[in-house]
Amino acid sequence: MADGKKRRRTDPTENSLPFKNKLKPDSVILETLKEFSTSSSASSSSSSAADKTLTLQDLSLPFRCREVADLSLSSVQSNIESLARKIAHSILTGNGFAFDVPSRSSANQLYVPELDRIVLKDKSSLRPFGNISTVRKSTITARILELIHQLCLKGIHVTKRDLFYTDVKLFKDQTQSDTVLDDVSCMLGCTRSSLNVVAAEKGVVVGRLIFSDNGDVIDCTKMGMGGKAIPPNIDRVGDMQSDALFILLVEKDAAYMRLAEDRFYNRFPCIIVTAKGQPDVSTRLFLRKMKMELKLPVLALVDSDPYGLKILSVYGCGSKNMSYDSAHLTTPDIKWLGVRPSDLDKYKIPEQCRLPMTEQDIKTGKDMLEEDFVKKNPGWVEELTLMVKTKQKAEIQALSTFGFQYLSEVYLPLKLQQKDWL
Amino acid sequence: MDGGGSSSESPIKAKKSKSKTPRKPKETILKQKSPAEFFAENKNIAGFDNAGKSLYTTVRELVENSLDSAESISVLPVVEVTIEEINRSKFNSMIGLVDRERVDAALYDDYETEKAREKRLAKEARAQEIQAKNASLGKKGKEASATKGIKGRGEASFYRVTCKDNGKGMPHDDIPDMFGRVLSGTKYGLKQTRGKFGLGAKMALIWSKMSTGLPIEISSSMRKQNYISFCRLDIDIHKNIPHVHLHEKRENNEHWHGAEIQVVIEGNWTTYRSKILHYMRQMAVITPYAQFVFKFMSDAPDKNVTVSFARRTDVMPPIPLETKHHPSSVDLLLIKRLIAETSKQNLVQFLQHEFVNISKPYAERLIGELGADFNSKMAVKSLTSQQIVRIHQLFRQAKFDDPSGHCLSPAGEYNLRLGIIKELHPDMVATYSGSAQVFEGHPFIVEAGVSVGGKDVKQGLNIFRFANRIPLLFEQGADVVTRTALKRINWSSYKINQIQDKIGVFVSIVSTKIPFKGTGKEYIGDDITEIASAVKSAIQQCCIQLKSKILKKMQAREQQERKRNLNRYIPDASSAIYNILNTTPLHASKKLRSGGDEEELMRKVSENLITKETLIEKLAKYVEQVDYEMALEYATQSGVSEQPRETIYIQSLEAENKIVDLHAPFFVFRVVQ
Repeated sequence: MADGKKRRRTDPTENSLPFKNKLKPDSVILETLKEFSTSSSASSSSSSAADKTLTLQDLSLPFRCREVADLSLSSVQSNIESLARKIAHSILTGNGFAFDVPSRSSANQLYVPELDRIVLKDKSSLRPFGNISTVRKSTITARILELIHQLCLKGIHVTKRDLFYTDVKLFKDQTQSDTVLDDVSCMLGCTRSSLNVVAAEKGVVVGRLIFSDNGDVIDCTKMGMGGKAIPPNIDRVGDMQSDALFILLVEKDAAYMRLAEDRFYNRFPCIIVTAKGQPDVSTRLFLRKMKMELKLPVLALVDSDPYGLKILSVYGCGSKNMSYDSAHLTTPDIKWLGVRPSDLDKYKIPEQCRLPMTEQDIKTGKDMLEEDFVKKNPGWVEELTLMVKTKQKAEIQALSTFGFQYLSEVYLPLKLQQKDWL
Repeated sequence: MDGGGSSSESPIKAKKSKSKTPRKPKETILKQKSPAEFFAENKNIAGFDNAGKSLYTTVRELVENSLDSAESISVLPVVEVTIEEINRSKFNSMIGLVDRERVDAALYDDYETEKAREKRLAKEARAQEIQAKNASLGKKGKEASATKGIKGRGEASFYRVTCKDNGKGMPHDDIPDMFGRVLSGTKYGLKQTRGKFGLGAKMALIWSKMSTGLPIEISSSMRKQNYISFCRLDIDIHKNIPHVHLHEKRENNEHWHGAEIQVVIEGNWTTYRSKILHYMRQMAVITPYAQFVFKFMSDAPDKNVTVSFARRTDVMPPIPLETKHHPSSVDLLLIKRLIAETSKQNLVQFLQHEFVNISKPYAERLIGELGADFNSKMAVKSLTSQQIVRIHQLFRQAKFDDPSGHCLSPAGEYNLRLGIIKELHPDMVATYSGSAQVFEGHPFIVEAGVSVGGKDVKQGLNIFRFANRIPLLFEQGADVVTRTALKRINWSSYKINQIQDKIGVFVSIVSTKIPFKGTGKEYIGDDITEIASAVKSAIQQCCIQLKSKILKKMQAREQQERKRNLNRYIPDASSAIYNILNTTPLHASKKLRSGGDEEELMRKVSENLITKETLIEKLAKYVEQVDYEMALEYATQSGVSEQPRETIYIQSLEAENKIVDLHAPFFVFRVVQ
């Protein structure tokens, strides 16, 4: 009697989650996932073998491209020293001085479909001290060089914020020191991490992953609910091990929290990563490292709006700001799992949870349709066209309308079962 | 006085009886309302929303009447406006009411209850404490504001508004009708006018009757008239006829011509002070050929205001001409009225002479198109209603030339510019006058001015709107000018900083019919694309003119500051480079090719032959050289001479020219001193 009552009480709530009845047992889903994982790792290993031969030099593009490499501290140091000597010489001969800085403007960027990422062309501009419009920037550049030289001598890491605070009076604004820092790494031909300057921790990871951070072994299933903050300097990270079947990339902190708390990675072995919005350099480096070392497929869960797709593109083929280092920062072959515009109707998300797109949104959407990285995937073009046509967007949280745990209990399992990714 | 009293009582009675009899079966009584009654009930239409706005509207109606009057006889206007505050006891004595002391204090709205009193005292004590504290700390806090007397709602303020001009004056016998009859006026007809409804002073009179019950006083004299007409009258709102108290001729010793109107109304100076002053100032901008004196007088001398806006030019825009209707802008009723009023006999003459842009051949073509039952010789008065509808239809569909703007009287670029310079003293100003354009058969002209800098101008955009040469002060947000300036002009592309620069945007639109929006006629809607694009292009034209000036200024400033700016960065740059050299480890410099430039450099650094000071010195020399080269280049580019300064010579009008006439039998020598 009591048992029956209990069942009756719980039954309606179980049934209230729409599409729950379509779910097959977890074991079936796991089977499909294993299949997917092995096939993708096989394909990625074969393709990565092909990738290894495919670099910028092999493409023989009609123009020269600029790419940076990881340099050792001592070579960064000697680069800076020889640059300083040249400048000192130029000053002493009475010619003032000038930096030859590679241009990072959008006119100097190029999407290379063979590589599936943005690269920087080799245009550069002179930054002379004797010109009123560039005197400030060239002084800041000299100062940043000096500071990085110090870092090289001492062999320590600092954050961008630290760098800014060493001379607030000159830099005035952190964006100024940040852009010049990127200029400097571009100029010296090394990655930003080789300059020993890192950004503050932003990304987090949780799930079936074990790695070593500066020698300490980290087990990401035992990091509590919040997960492990992704270390800002990737060179300390190593020895990655995992029994996961896929990597789940989440746009938002809220959805990440939900999945972490529900221990989604124990039901379906996976690694969950988020950068809480636009990804920073270290999260992108980390994702690439995971993908390359563990050979796992990457599935992305982003908002159904143009910005969700934009974030996806930054992981996939790089941002324009850091295009000089796109080789180290991009992760190829990310699948768009959800929330896709077609899901809004498929999962009957009620009207009140959908938002009308603003004019700006629609414009961004239309612009994205022109972007090469969208065009290369016909499924994405279809989805984005649908979004622009319906003029509706929705966040991942719109799924909470069926209950907070709908995301982890029904939506994601069903998506995985149906292999519903593009 | 008693006549006025009885008439104002009756509407209240009528209202009362209405409210008492709602349950009885409804009797539909056909009532008629006089125009005066209508406006008394809907006074917000004419801008008499509340006491404060009424004071403002009264001032503006009187000022605009004065300007129209002076311009109609081509005399440079001199307008004196005086607002005199009248306190309650003075007002009571004016209407012969005995001041009564309050007996039952608690009866009044502003009575302070025991609780409220405690609260107030506590608050005052606290404020005093804070002040004492601040004083002991040596801080200069702001002076505690004098406790304001609490004003109850019964405490109305009354004002005597006087407006004196040097205009045309009014014929002695017409004065009662001109003031005591609503919707009768001299300004009806199709032309550019300042007035908006033909209400003007009449509405002020209705308001004075509603709020104070005091009559209006008019003195007027026309040119070459040896007497002054004086008239004291009020209005019978029911019958819409004047009620004359006194109408007499007085002596005119000063050969004065013009009108002086005095009305006592309820108002609110404290809240509308700034609006009224803004109005006067903007009026002075758009009519720099007029002289305004504005005075506010009250018992408290510190509140008194006297502002005078001097005349800066004697060039007056031409008097707007009355024009005929454009065929595309008329409606059925108007055609019927024109037919009734016309002196022309047959249809072809009617079409040719009562409308613009219909020539005789065109009229005949139109008649041919109208159909078989029309011909050019048919009597125009014999047209049937159906035929008139047919004419109207054809007018709608046929193509006509656009009306020309010759009937309009814009302020003129010169006047606008002068007005802006005179009132704002900007650093830079540019003006532009567009050509006439058409909206719904009515021609319009847009003139614009953009100024940068100046006194009493706040940072950001300051928008001044004028319609038919009167300032618009209310409902700025939805106006086409505001929207255009805020949203459709990319200020930064003209090197103007929308937030930090003091920008004045002046747009004056004149038309035979301004397409106002809203009941108050205070703004022009943003939905008329013709006007919106004309406003945009006018402002842009001004900005283009300014841009070149601003660029020149920036270049000149850059010239002056270049050396200083470059020198400022020398220490930072030199020390950065030197520190890298100085901290270079020995083993790194040993790798260098011996005997090379770099090796020698490092040796000198380590031996202190090259120090930070060496670098600073060399860089300073370099900057000196760069600066010299750049200055030379700039001088060759811009020419040696300074840009010509803009100078405006204005004849002083106040001072009479001293002239000596030397008469000879055939001629006169006039010597100007």
